[in-house]
Amino acid sequence: MLIITCPWCGARPEVEFRYGGEAHIARPADPSALTDAEWADFLYNRTNPKGLHAERWRHIHGCGRYFNALRDTVSDFFVTTYKAGEKRPDIDASSGGSK
Amino acid sequence: MADHSSHDPLAGIPFDRVPPSGRYGAAGEPGVTVSTTDTPFIALVVARNGFAASVAARLGRAFGVEVADRAGAAISAASTVVGTGPGRFLVLSTIEPDLEGTLRALLGAEAAVSEQSDASVAFNLTGEKVPDLLAKGALIDLDPRVFLPGHAATTVIAHIGVTLWRVHESGWRLLVARSFEASFTRFLVASGAEFGLALENGTAGRG
Repeated sequence: MLIITCPWCGARPEVEFRYGGEAHIARPADPSALTDAEWADFLYNRTNPKGLHAERWRHIHGCGRYFNALRDTVSDFFVTTYKAGEKRPDIDASSGGSK
Repeated sequence: MADHSSHDPLAGIPFDRVPPSGRYGAAGEPGVTVSTTDTPFIALVVARNGFAASVAARLGRAFGVEVADRAGAAISAASTVVGTGPGRFLVLSTIEPDLEGTLRALLGAEAAVSEQSDASVAFNLTGEKVPDLLAKGALIDLDPRVFLPGHAATTVIAHIGVTLWRVHESGWRLLVARSFEASFTRFLVASGAEFGLALENGTAGRG
């Protein structure tokens, strides 16, 4: 089982968490000004990288809070977790999975 | 083949009923005693944005305990304040029937307060073997050398959401949603039978 570090509760088992999709996707300030293609891009298109991925997780069976994680999509290794609202840590793919 | 059904401490007990009070499993001095006879008044306090520290301080002053905005249980004779998440506190009291009103008056606009007295069942677990019992269902480290008196966690035990804290050296308290009382008691009985388990049920809710 994966151990995921909640920024508030510390290291907890994977089953306490739910995945919340890609992180750092800002809702457009004025949706009515967008074309259908731009709106569809916001709604549906995701980066789906091979390697480091910034994503939202929710500690649903613990404190209930959303937070962000940098996970390597190849190795499933959680490089780091950080609170919602904080900037994506400046870590490149080469450091993923090295621990 | 031998009939093993007689070794099942839950044999004959309907799965949707709370097992009756009594002794289960190994004979002799019980390794674990489970009681739900204490029915504290419970309220949930959720601090509004930016007020978590202030709410913690007010709760601490009002109940005469040290409260911080982190996971932990601050325990006095009549009340307990448990941090369950950032800015979230469960308050338990044995002497304040209008706990919700008291907290509203204390915290004003700094927090949302909701009455939770009948939402949860409070299990008191005492005995040498409690950590061994909980280890069968918990996924976090509850080793008594790591999880010390005053430590608290909101987690999953036997697939059921639990807020638990260690009250003293051999005493633990677990809050479980009331609809899971039968299932969770069955887990406790099945897991504690090898140590000998004494169960004392309370009444179901305050009505």
